[in-house]
Amino acid sequence: MINGKRRVAVNTIMILIGISFLFPLYWMLNISFKTKSEVYNNPFGLPEQWVFNNYGDALEKFNFPRYLSNSVIYSVGTIILTVFFGSMLAYCFSRMDWKHKNLALSYISMGLIIPSQVVVIPLLIMTRDLGLKGTHMGLILPYSAFALSSCVLMLYAFFRSLPRELEEAACIDGCNIYQTYFRIIMPVIKPAIATQCVLIFMNTYNEFFLAFILGAEDKIRPLTVGLLNFFVSIGVSHWGQIGAAMIITSLPTILVYIIGNEQIENALTAGAILK
Amino acid sequence: MLANKVIQMNKLFGNKLAIFIFSFPALFLFTVFVIYPIFPEVLISFQKNDGFRNMGYVGLKNYIDVLNDKTFWRANLNTFTIVFLSTFVALPISLIFALVMDRLSEPMRRFFKGTSVLPAVLSVTVIAQMWIAIYEPMWGLLNSILRALRLDSLAVAWLSDSRTVVPAIAAAFLWQYLGLNALLFYTGIKAIPKTYYEAALIDGAGFIKSSIKITIPLLQDVTKYLLVLSILGCMAQFAHVRIMTAGGPGDISRTVIYHLYYRAFSASDFGQGCAIAILFVIECLVLTFLINRFVAREKIEF
Repeated sequence: MINGKRRVAVNTIMILIGISFLFPLYWMLNISFKTKSEVYNNPFGLPEQWVFNNYGDALEKFNFPRYLSNSVIYSVGTIILTVFFGSMLAYCFSRMDWKHKNLALSYISMGLIIPSQVVVIPLLIMTRDLGLKGTHMGLILPYSAFALSSCVLMLYAFFRSLPRELEEAACIDGCNIYQTYFRIIMPVIKPAIATQCVLIFMNTYNEFFLAFILGAEDKIRPLTVGLLNFFVSIGVSHWGQIGAAMIITSLPTILVYIIGNEQIENALTAGAILK
Repeated sequence: MLANKVIQMNKLFGNKLAIFIFSFPALFLFTVFVIYPIFPEVLISFQKNDGFRNMGYVGLKNYIDVLNDKTFWRANLNTFTIVFLSTFVALPISLIFALVMDRLSEPMRRFFKGTSVLPAVLSVTVIAQMWIAIYEPMWGLLNSILRALRLDSLAVAWLSDSRTVVPAIAAAFLWQYLGLNALLFYTGIKAIPKTYYEAALIDGAGFIKSSIKITIPLLQDVTKYLLVLSILGCMAQFAHVRIMTAGGPGDISRTVIYHLYYRAFSASDFGQGCAIAILFVIECLVLTFLINRFVAREKIEF
């Protein structure tokens, strides 16, 4: 179909484009080993003089452990709440008989078209009034609420593809609905749950806007916002330290990405298949 | 026995208490943090409110002030510029990547799939900061390349020039999700049964012809999904603007959400902030409605 010469050309172009997506990694590593002045004289070539103290200096001013643990708390908290409650609602939609089921289904779908940014002002007031300001819950609850819609809809589609024989067997064995759900159904939907976990993790871990506004206090700041604050505090004068801080910040994500590449890919495309 | 089974199943799935226990927590959480906030939002949009107190109802004044504010319209122009560039430049590029990906050999495809998602996985803060360095006027990558090509006249201060700042931010933002969108398109291509291509192959259609005649029309469900996703994502753009220019120079590169943030939190005018939010929600709903009305109205079944 494609002749030899054209194939070589196409392959070369695609390799170059593919490599260009790796540029952020190269650039961060590169400047993190440069002295303050070399970044200006030789910003994109390999370091002429390798320095390693940028990492130590950055870690002194950049409270990485705190921001990382905040980010992890937000992500894990959101995953637990959303997946636990969301899967129950999705199951309830797909199996149980109740009157206003379709109405409730459209109701929860509304979350797909309301951007979370829109309600940031009332959310700020609410978290203040509920005493959640300055706590992790002040972000986990809105994150979970906004993650619910797509989680419920995707799991709902998944449940509908499961045969009812599963429950029939359980039913004959005399299981009640809770035992049926947690002992029989939960193990079966593990792959779909894993996909949801990855998806919610990626969205929450990199969320910026709500974190920027609702998580403004330093003790509850996640990495995304904490890193920006670090940039602002040292100014754009010391790119070596900026690079080091960026590498440290990205390491967890890159590790997760390398280990769970396949899983991430499946998760990211799950939505597209669902349509 | 069969009747007995049906009764038992009905008992299992018709249990009112169980329905309540399964559905209530999620519906409650959703209602409190997604739906309910819209009510105070509408209310505050009619108030003079500094974020701590309601200083009286002012009718439509906030809306009139917002609509008379040139910055609001500038912010809308910027936001829709990003939406436009995403729809007519970035998404088509992703689609081309996906079409080519489909024709690559397996190891090449694995490599491309692996690298292309990386920018989307990295934090926005990192990516935006990298683009600051690329656009830096004196030693930035872009201007270094332009000078090396003897195109010095094109080497401007990208992020402080009012003509280039919005496209520059849009390029950084859209580049980050180029590979991810390509991967999503590719998933759609993979789902098309190969028999459709065999017919085209017999007709002697090449890559371009079979893409235009077969693949792209059959992809319309995925296209629609990505269109909604990317348009809503562009509408809500805030992070890249905040990190790269903070809305500057002056207020030139603000997006609608940045303007909302600025009015509410920097100018302490929650009333106007909420009015902007309401107008913004209406814009999003209209856009979503238009896409659903005019793009891919019939679902494709293979």
